[in-house]
Amino acid sequence: MGLDYKLVLWNKHKKTYDKLIALGMVVYLVLFVMLTLVFNPEGTAETMIIRAFGSLAILMLHIILIIGPLSRLNPSFLPLLYNRRHLGVSMFLAALIHGAFSIIQFHTLGNVNPIYSIFTSNMDYGSLTNFPFQVLGFLALLILFFMASTSHDFFLKNLSPSVWKGLHMMVYLAYALILLHVFLGAFQQETSMATTGILVIGFFLVAGLHIRAALKESKVDAFKGEIDANGWLKVCLVDEIDENRAKIFTVGRERVAIFKYDGKLSAIHNVCKHQGGPLGEGKIVDGCVTCPWHGYQYLPHNGQSPPPFTEKVATYELRLESGMVYVNPRGLDEGTEVEPVKC
Amino acid sequence: MGDKDEFYIGYVDSVGKNTRKSIKVFVLGALGTLILGAFLFGFFQRPASNSSFDFDTATKVSGVYHEMPYPMLRVALEKDVHKNILLLGFGKFGANPYLKDICKKEGTLEGMQLTIEGNLIYYNGKTLLQIDDSQKISLTNSSKKNPISKEALGKKILEGEIVDPKCYFGVMKPGYGKIHRSCASLCISGGIPPVLVTSDENAISDYFLLTDLKGNPLHKDILPYIGQPSQLQGEVEKLEDWHVLRIDVTEIEKLNKESSIY
Repeated sequence: MGLDYKLVLWNKHKKTYDKLIALGMVVYLVLFVMLTLVFNPEGTAETMIIRAFGSLAILMLHIILIIGPLSRLNPSFLPLLYNRRHLGVSMFLAALIHGAFSIIQFHTLGNVNPIYSIFTSNMDYGSLTNFPFQVLGFLALLILFFMASTSHDFFLKNLSPSVWKGLHMMVYLAYALILLHVFLGAFQQETSMATTGILVIGFFLVAGLHIRAALKESKVDAFKGEIDANGWLKVCLVDEIDENRAKIFTVGRERVAIFKYDGKLSAIHNVCKHQGGPLGEGKIVDGCVTCPWHGYQYLPHNGQSPPPFTEKVATYELRLESGMVYVNPRGLDEGTEVEPVKC
Repeated sequence: MGDKDEFYIGYVDSVGKNTRKSIKVFVLGALGTLILGAFLFGFFQRPASNSSFDFDTATKVSGVYHEMPYPMLRVALEKDVHKNILLLGFGKFGANPYLKDICKKEGTLEGMQLTIEGNLIYYNGKTLLQIDDSQKISLTNSSKKNPISKEALGKKILEGEIVDPKCYFGVMKPGYGKIHRSCASLCISGGIPPVLVTSDENAISDYFLLTDLKGNPLHKDILPYIGQPSQLQGEVEKLEDWHVLRIDVTEIEKLNKESSIY
């Protein structure tokens, strides 16, 4: 958490994370260049750069896309999520080098503007096999540019988390465009079972993990508790909640996290104000609900971040009867103090 | 910290044992994927041709200028052996803009001896010359030589792919096919002559300069047919070491198959 905006709030884990990103990229590029020089010695440097960075970017995108669902399925992968934006920006830089070299190579020094040329130099929009695949790559690069250039808490705060999240969910559109760009472009000419196969496997891995994670979350959303005479929802036995942890229930249309700590129960809205992380998958640390994604903290009894931080989430009233926990589905305003229930 | 209690916070230095193990597995998996990917993408590339582009070396070439219909320089290699070097401009342009100044001064250049300093492009017996400055063209001898002889070879039906010769003969690798199609379109619309690369092993030549039925240059009309397997038909003329195919663009038939010139 930070009060002011710095380019990067460095810490030990972020430094290790970035060193591993750099190592992976360098290893890939060195290997690719060496193999190209040995097996395709007549090729040009420009083509080698375009291919090296394009193939690196698409592999990195697959790695990025599996981190989200993997962390939802197994919290021990959460550190991968913590600094994923650096991985995203690195992938964008690889894609940018691929795109810039391709535009310079194929579209500059001609009789029309290079950007105009991307859209008009192949007009077979009605054909699948002859489709102008470079347009797809260009649109994907634009999306990745907007994502990378707003990949900072300054934009997250100023665009609002929901707009920011919506913008960054466009990574799935970019992924689709990139797959089409490759399958309707490079793979039409440089056809190989091995390279096609690795991307097909990658697609099924990404899709499969997302479906598994969605099924896991759908169990929470499928919860239908009994409603008592006062309109309160019967959710679970108090013993079902681990100490310093929470259980998540869908109450109305919202997910609510009920935490147990120090012999008390408190309920807050499940969505972190930072990037929408699932607070109910977090933990009480130093008396605060701590988000599993980036460590943002909230006091469980009022949903407020401890001073000097200012984030607030909605709170919910709880009742305990014969070991059974009830929640009032009508949430209170963000940051409203609620007396914890003793258990 | 027990496995169940493990909780990672990015700004706290300690990391639980279970979390550390998971991260190690993921990092090794990701690095393994990148190494495998580098091997697959690096190894499974279609080998590039041994075409050449002397982009950093200028060469002075002297010969007799002619346009039939594209600008060429007929260079004597030895007695009665000539090579016709196709002239091109810088970037994705033909040679004509660079010849404008000297044409203004001398009138028609047909049959005159020129010396041009440019960058050679060569592959499979064909040579092209990129001109990047009109000042590098000089008139060596204004006395006119006879134009080169043409030999009519009759009507032919040919299969292959239309390319821009500048990229195909050396500037880009690959300089053909779908990946290169946009560039080839820009080159040909910029004045570079279209060339048919035949896929038929029994064809009388591997390469044919394309013109319209009257023998005039073809540029914009042929753009929709570039970079894809096609069948063309027309009268073939032999101009020493080049062949010219006169075509009606509307008769080009796109073939729904993978190009076999790769």
